Amino acid sequence: MTDDEYVLAALRIAAGADPLPARVSADARAVYGLRLPGAVTASPVRPAPEAATGVRPLGGVRSDGCADDGDPRLLRFAAEGLTIDMEVTVCDSHIDLAGQVHPAPGDGARVEIRTPHVSKIRFPTETGEFATTGLPLGWLSVVCHRPDRPPVATRWQCIRR
Amino acid sequence: MLTKSIPSGTQSHLMPHDLDLLDETAWRDLVDRFGYRMWAVARAFGLNPSDAADAVQAAWLRLIESVHTIRDPDRIGAWLVTTTRHEAARIGRGRAGDPLPGLPAEIPAPDGDPVAAMLTEEDGRRLWAAVDTLREPCRSLLRLIVTVPEIRYAQLARCLDMPVGSIGPTRIRCLKRLRSLMEEDR
Repeated sequence: MTDDEYVLAALRIAAGADPLPARVSADARAVYGLRLPGAVTASPVRPAPEAATGVRPLGGVRSDGCADDGDPRLLRFAAEGLTIDMEVTVCDSHIDLAGQVHPAPGDGARVEIRTPHVSKIRFPTETGEFATTGLPLGWLSVVCHRPDRPPVATRWQCIRR
Repeated sequence: MLTKSIPSGTQSHLMPHDLDLLDETAWRDLVDRFGYRMWAVARAFGLNPSDAADAVQAAWLRLIESVHTIRDPDRIGAWLVTTTRHEAARIGRGRAGDPLPGLPAEIPAPDGDPVAAMLTEEDGRRLWAAVDTLREPCRSLLRLIVTVPEIRYAQLARCLDMPVGSIGPTRIRCLKRLRSLMEEDR
């Protein structure tokens, strides 16, 4: 053993103290249902300065409990020549999301906004914008499905207050 | 158990069946085998149950994102533990006010972290035997840290009748002594 945390973890396992909560185990099992065979994973990249204005949420998409003067989080993911910008607003008990796919994916494309327990489908505008409200706090991923192309899925991000 | 051969090439949307590395039974088996170890590692970083749950879930999600890159299924367990450790450290730094560093882009090779594969009950039993040979306050300090994961230094100081400022250095010294005993025992 060369690491203090591993030493403590091994002691804890042997002691049987602090058992794995059933909810954590159930959530881990449920991850299997989230797999997307064939999908390309878009890794996070640093948002460009213009992203703050480029992915403003569509008018009226903010829901109750979200201050208009709040500080949304800007996230950018890229893969396969596709960039997905996300502007996440963390509210009292949920999150609102506005985003944009660059370049605009065109006809027949759809954006799937995924949490471990909720999936929402949006059809992006001509400029690739999409939005939704009322997502639960926690894990979030956006998938862009395009005809005749592999889906591009952002890495899962944990959004908490 | 793994149910299908592992693709040697890179991902391809033309062969989605090849990317479906694990069936659900195999996935559940992974959760049963490694879930507790991952939890123990996250908690060993001092994370509260909510943050520890996020660290563990992050590792499972990273695996489902990266499963097509795995070439050696024997490394999955060590990789899960190592990834949980990285996530726990990242969350811990974030709680401490440091900026969150980026996530690893791909599955790291566990070769650089061999202890991850050694996190077994047998290791724990040997460690406890070594703890019992330590002098005080090491023996009591480590017992409290292990059995009360969220105990604070101030509480430890009261329990052990020690100055709170000496808890950290004593903890480091006791763990170092414990590791020395383990090395001698090999």
